[in-house]
Amino acid sequence: MSVLVLAEHLRGEVRAVTHELVSAGRSLAPPVTVAVVARDPEPLVGAVRVEGVDEVVTVAAGTDEFENDTYQQALEALIAARRPRVVLLAFSVNAMGYAPAVAAKLGLGFASDVHGMALEGDSVIATRSFYGGKVDAEVAFPGVDTVLLLLRPTTWPPAEGASDAPVSSLHVDVAPSRARHVEFVDVAASTDVDITQADVLLSVGRGIGDADAILQFEGLAAKMGATLSVSRPIVDAGWMPASRQVGQSGKTVKPKVYLAFGISGAVQHLAGMKASGTIIAVNTDPDASIFNVAHYGAVVDLFDVAEELEKLY
Amino acid sequence: MARDPKHDILFEPIQIGPKTMKNRFYQIPHCNGFGSEKPFSQAFFRAVKAEGGYAAVSTEYCSISPESDDTHRMSARLWDDEDIKNLSLMCDMLHEHDALAACELWYGGPHAPCMESRCVARGPSQIPSDFEYMTYAIEADKDDIRYLQKLYVDAAKRARTAGFDIVYVYGSHSYLPQQFLTPFYNKRTDEYGGSFENRARFWRETIELVKEAVGDDTAIAVRMSTDMFIGEAGTQLERDCLPFVELVDDLVDVWDINLSGIAEWGEDATPSRFYEQGRALPWQGAVKAVSKKPVLGVGRWTNPDGMVEAIREGKLDIIATCRPSTSDPFLPKKIEEGRLDDIRECIGCNICISRWEIGGPPLICTQNATAGEEYRRGWHPEKFTTARNADNDVLVVGAGPAGMECAMVLGKRGMRRVHLVEAADDMGGTMRWIPQLPGLGEWARLVNYRKIQIDKLKNIEFIPSTTLSATDVSAYGAEIVVIATGSYWATDGLNGASHDVISGADASLAWQATPDQIMDEGKQLDGERILVFDNDGYFMGVSISEMLALEGKKVTLMTPMGHVAPYMHFTLEAPNMHRRLHSLGVEIVPYYLPSRFEPGTVVATHVYDEHGHERTWEADGVVLVSQRRSNEQLYRSLKDDVGLEALKADGVDALYRIGDCEAPRLTADAVFSGHRLAREIDSPDPSVPLPFRRERRVVDADTIASERAWHEAVVAGTAA
Amino acid sequence: MKTIVCVKQVRTLGDEVEFTDDGTDVRPDYVDLALNEWDSYATEEALLLREAHGGEVLVLTCGGKESEPALRRCLAMGADRAARVEGAEGNDAIRVAHALAGVVREEGADLVLCGVQSSDSVQAATGTALAELLGLPRVAVVTRLEVGQGTARVHRELEGGLADVVDVEMPAVLTIQTGINKPRYANLRAIKQAEQVEIAVSQAEDAPSASRVRRMFVPARGAGAEMLGTDPAEVAGRIAEIVRERTA
Repeated sequence: MSVLVLAEHLRGEVRAVTHELVSAGRSLAPPVTVAVVARDPEPLVGAVRVEGVDEVVTVAAGTDEFENDTYQQALEALIAARRPRVVLLAFSVNAMGYAPAVAAKLGLGFASDVHGMALEGDSVIATRSFYGGKVDAEVAFPGVDTVLLLLRPTTWPPAEGASDAPVSSLHVDVAPSRARHVEFVDVAASTDVDITQADVLLSVGRGIGDADAILQFEGLAAKMGATLSVSRPIVDAGWMPASRQVGQSGKTVKPKVYLAFGISGAVQHLAGMKASGTIIAVNTDPDASIFNVAHYGAVVDLFDVAEELEKLY
Repeated sequence: MARDPKHDILFEPIQIGPKTMKNRFYQIPHCNGFGSEKPFSQAFFRAVKAEGGYAAVSTEYCSISPESDDTHRMSARLWDDEDIKNLSLMCDMLHEHDALAACELWYGGPHAPCMESRCVARGPSQIPSDFEYMTYAIEADKDDIRYLQKLYVDAAKRARTAGFDIVYVYGSHSYLPQQFLTPFYNKRTDEYGGSFENRARFWRETIELVKEAVGDDTAIAVRMSTDMFIGEAGTQLERDCLPFVELVDDLVDVWDINLSGIAEWGEDATPSRFYEQGRALPWQGAVKAVSKKPVLGVGRWTNPDGMVEAIREGKLDIIATCRPSTSDPFLPKKIEEGRLDDIRECIGCNICISRWEIGGPPLICTQNATAGEEYRRGWHPEKFTTARNADNDVLVVGAGPAGMECAMVLGKRGMRRVHLVEAADDMGGTMRWIPQLPGLGEWARLVNYRKIQIDKLKNIEFIPSTTLSATDVSAYGAEIVVIATGSYWATDGLNGASHDVISGADASLAWQATPDQIMDEGKQLDGERILVFDNDGYFMGVSISEMLALEGKKVTLMTPMGHVAPYMHFTLEAPNMHRRLHSLGVEIVPYYLPSRFEPGTVVATHVYDEHGHERTWEADGVVLVSQRRSNEQLYRSLKDDVGLEALKADGVDALYRIGDCEAPRLTADAVFSGHRLAREIDSPDPSVPLPFRRERRVVDADTIASERAWHEAVVAGTAA
Repeated sequence: MKTIVCVKQVRTLGDEVEFTDDGTDVRPDYVDLALNEWDSYATEEALLLREAHGGEVLVLTCGGKESEPALRRCLAMGADRAARVEGAEGNDAIRVAHALAGVVREEGADLVLCGVQSSDSVQAATGTALAELLGLPRVAVVTRLEVGQGTARVHRELEGGLADVVDVEMPAVLTIQTGINKPRYANLRAIKQAEQVEIAVSQAEDAPSASRVRRMFVPARGAGAEMLGTDPAEVAGRIAEIVRERTA
């Protein structure tokens, strides 16, 4: 049994999701090998060598930034060399560009957006959602030696600390990329508030009490780099326009983080946000339905929390 | 779909006297304009609520004597035994659905002008009504009091014979029994006036007498206003109401608790502009705390969680609704079936009430086009027949209230494909920005409901951000085309007072704007002083003024009418609206018509000034709320430029227009317009409404003969 | 310029869910079907390319007869031809890619466009797997496309609001992200005409499947939120941490 993780990095920084892959691999089937692919992988090794990493393999190939042909060839070589039982990648934009290609080429077991893994004897079972998250499915990979899984970010906790894992390198002859990185551009921020495009939504409901509180939360949202959204009662009361409303008759949102402050979780509201990546609910009512869909919750006064959050930004 | 267990309590039966309600949903006494003389409209209107799950449904106020004649306003009547027949239809139809029937026995005293009966009312003291003018009552002596109490007893017996399960001794809104209780109306010095016990005497005795007459098998309800908000002269909670509840609690089977007097009963029938759901809970809870009997009351209830909370917190036992039962008679069933997003929520506009206030017309509802049409057009709010011409595709251009409603009903009637195309990026039309005016947030429910329903209908496709030209429409591929392009506010000052434009009025200039320019296009008026010219008659002028004043502008609201926003008197919004405008420092100038607009100046003349003296107002900006105009270019282009022949050649068999683009109207009427076309899309000529069933007396040879014979006998003095 | 757009007829579940007897999928009678949202953007992008460069747009799906409405929607938007390959339907994205590859190879194309993912499976795999089977370069998650001579310059949308500008050799496979354009509506005339178009049907070659759903189920609800405590300062701290982690 062994796990191979391919690190993700961008502009010289290892992406945090890599550490999640390590802890996932560790909980499934150590030893865990982490591979780093870059033109010059050495500077990235330190950030990759967290607790739970048993081995680091560097592949000096390609360019500084991700190119899918390079990663495909590197991964194929790593699989041939190390014969891992399980390859863990993040379910990320990068992985979408090469992982299915590797799986198709090598006939690997494959599943993406995986949020659960288990070993049954020798068999790997992956759990993922279907149909808008309404159902889950257990996926089996009968008769394959290597399984390639793309894990849903923020499902596993990121491994921390440091390890003294040995570092080796693998030489891979990589053909020139057919899809070449040119440069990065920052996506221009639009002036219209489109809550469906926000990564983080700070959403408030009738628990905020009155219209004056809106200004306060708008300020907090700006500080946090979040966009303010609201539930129906706020729009009904005329405190915010309908363009900010999350819910069945408003907008459906799927931000990375949905902060629900003073929102009870009416069915119509949940319909608009329950597919959010991470839902954090703050409500003084411990029975509020929002807690059924939230990943994190706190039964505490939302103004107190807001005040504390202000101090942190 | 199943009921949320959280809502179970709303479906627990409850005992009221000798009767049992099968759940906690009660349609409170409310007017519909049908009375006893449109018995089918009355019965079908009430019965659809029983079908929708209401466990008890009441008449409107039911007059017990010709001395209590509210003409021009419509009440029910139980003046004689013949009246029993008409109201018994309502009782029978309610019983078919296992609902109880309630009758609100009413005597208006000095509030009832008796314009049809030409009788004179009796009352506690002789002061003209604060609700009507020129109406005086006979100051009742002891014989009058006995007579009045016998009216209640006789009416209660008639009600029981008709089949009513519950009879009221109704006092709220300051009608007779509550007039005796209240110092404002009762200046008597005999044993029926003065101390609390004396003031309570009439009401207590009447309840005793009614209970004695029918109480063994009929539930006795008392409707009481807990506080009239007019200080010590009015009924007050602690001084009058709670002691009265304690005094007669043993006699009463159910308390119906509300607020306010009659002159400002918008404090009870709260517009959403000023009050949230459940406004009366504190008072209802206070009564519940001292009574051993069930307590019911209204609160513009639409949210089932709020209803559950009210009961759990011991403030109400029964959830009563008036307006929400009209906007959705199937509210209880939908909660029971867990279909919360199918509930058509009341928006609190009070258009329904405005029809009673005007006096005469049947009620209408902005949200529910079938309200009032259950009998006369045979429209059921939840049932839609498949159109005979369903094998056609429909293009609806414009997703405002009329377009949304039309598309939705066409979808429910099974049209093969319906495309609802809208130029803006979302549904709603003017109802996208109107709810953004101060206080009108709940009006957006009109759009919310239709959005959800349209989304559920698989045969409707909504296409936003798309403007169609006449050629696009012709080539679209729809056999039926419905134009619903709405209206805009006139940019040239054209108005119904002068029937002319106003010199210098031009909303394309930077310092002038119309409501749509401000709200929809974001046009800002610079400067501090704004003059709003309003000849609309409803809310637009005052709402824009309120909004601008809240933004810090100094606003002058000028109208050639004697009152600004007169229609808001009928929607019960006027008193608080005026208080709001007054507190914001809005200057209201009635009776003035602008003769010209110049940069920085508005010149106007008094409408009754025969010499045309001009007065000048300084204004940095002007808002024109003079009148609306139809957006009829597309329709005209299709009809005149393309032509019906060419359309037919292109496959368009029918072209219709609905809503404001035909003629500007109330939102309720725009919704109705779309609904009607869809209901009648398969009639021989859908452009003309089918005749509705009229409840009228049609004479024939026999009745002519017998009536003329009777008349002759009366004139000759030989009649029995 | 010949563009092939691979589309999918996706399923949305209602509130009631019923599983097949073997428990590996939902019963088809409890689902609504529609064209995958991403694919309408991909189709629109292909139509824009045809408007700019001339040529042809073929829409292709892996599916049985019930998938034809998705193809007809694309035809109504303006695609020239439609085809479906049956026999490989199901949740194995790589098996689907094999089926599609057979038709694409036969047809040939300058560009193959797929949606980034389907709304029902969310695997985000078919396009890239297809590229591999065809031996073509690919870029996944494209938010901007400019076709030049022999190469295309695309923007790849990364997490966190950054775009990666990539030059890719053509022919190529691109997976298209929502928001890249504004898909045109199809009027009723086009929809009716699309009803009449003949859709080419072919059979998928047998392809191996290396993954298999062995059980599908409704996840236990209310496993509950992880509670962060009752001290506002602590809660705020945790919230800030979580936000930072999730948006890194």
